[in-house]
Amino acid sequence: MSRNGVPRVLPWAILGVAVALYVGWALAPASPLYTQLLSPHRLLALAAVLKLAYLLAGAALAFACRDRLEADNPARPAWFLLSLGLLANFAGQLCLAPFQVVRNQTPFPSVADIFYVLAYPFLIAALLVLLNAYREAGFPIGSLVDRAVTLGAVGVIAAVVAVPILRPVAETGGPLLDRILTVAYPVLDLVLLLPLALLLRIALKLRGSHAGEVWVLILGGIVFLCAGDICFAYFQSLGETHLDPFVHATFVLAYGLIAGGAHRQLRLLES
Amino acid sequence: MTTSEAVQAVVKVMTPYIGDTMARSATQAHCQKLGIAGDTVSPEQVEALLGKLGGGLNIFLGRDKSASVVAEARQALAAAGGSR
Repeated sequence: MSRNGVPRVLPWAILGVAVALYVGWALAPASPLYTQLLSPHRLLALAAVLKLAYLLAGAALAFACRDRLEADNPARPAWFLLSLGLLANFAGQLCLAPFQVVRNQTPFPSVADIFYVLAYPFLIAALLVLLNAYREAGFPIGSLVDRAVTLGAVGVIAAVVAVPILRPVAETGGPLLDRILTVAYPVLDLVLLLPLALLLRIALKLRGSHAGEVWVLILGGIVFLCAGDICFAYFQSLGETHLDPFVHATFVLAYGLIAGGAHRQLRLLES
Repeated sequence: MTTSEAVQAVVKVMTPYIGDTMARSATQAHCQKLGIAGDTVSPEQVEALLGKLGGGLNIFLGRDKSASVVAEARQALAAAGGSR
């Protein structure tokens, strides 16, 4: 039981049910649950509300973590940047929400994309600042060769996975802005994956600990964020809109995990 | 106190917060930087080691919590030293 009387497992149960709901929608759209009870419009509106709630919670919790750390703590700017990244995503989602809730539409491209793209520099900077904080604090972040090998491996894997996915996306006809944005998201995600890979390597060394829980949740959330963007780009450009529920599930899970990680960190700082 | 006893005591206290692998590798890295290489460790070297580890824990736990973990480690070291 948490301090405010809410069972600790409840937020995770809600997240699990939400993700299962959207995966179920993708796998069995003809089932009575999705044809009689939950219309596509209701599900889109629910996804919008869930994303807004998790993003706002994540941004507020990350900011609270920043607030709890001392002014000279090297991790403090990382929490601030993470908070700004989540806030930018929140602003993007807030731009889309009225269309999704009222009209059952997700306009693309739209003003929301300005905020979604803006989120990347904040998230990438947050991870870089964190890496630097670990290094400054004397935590072993691996030798230069180790890091180069990790980055090289991630680069090669990303290229092998991304090129076949991005090629049809880039070659699809349509307005130039659509194509630029559709390719830009996965490319920015691949840039995000580089510091993420180094941090995941460190997070593995933290396994089984309080700090490990925090970083596995947050970094896991960012991994799902990248996966969601890549799926979005692929499905959007190829017109595979029936797979959109997977994208919703991935983003809801990503935002939920990040908010959960920030919450764990705040609890750790307050303990 | 022997170096391995000191390392063991410090790692045990830090493990719940940053995990055994990170606690061990951070302690060993700081020992190396501080020149703690012999079989025994002096009280001054222990204090320097705790100072470095406390600075690192700040990142994850904040200054107050980090200070309390370092105090816990100091007690564990005193107990380990006293039991000899």
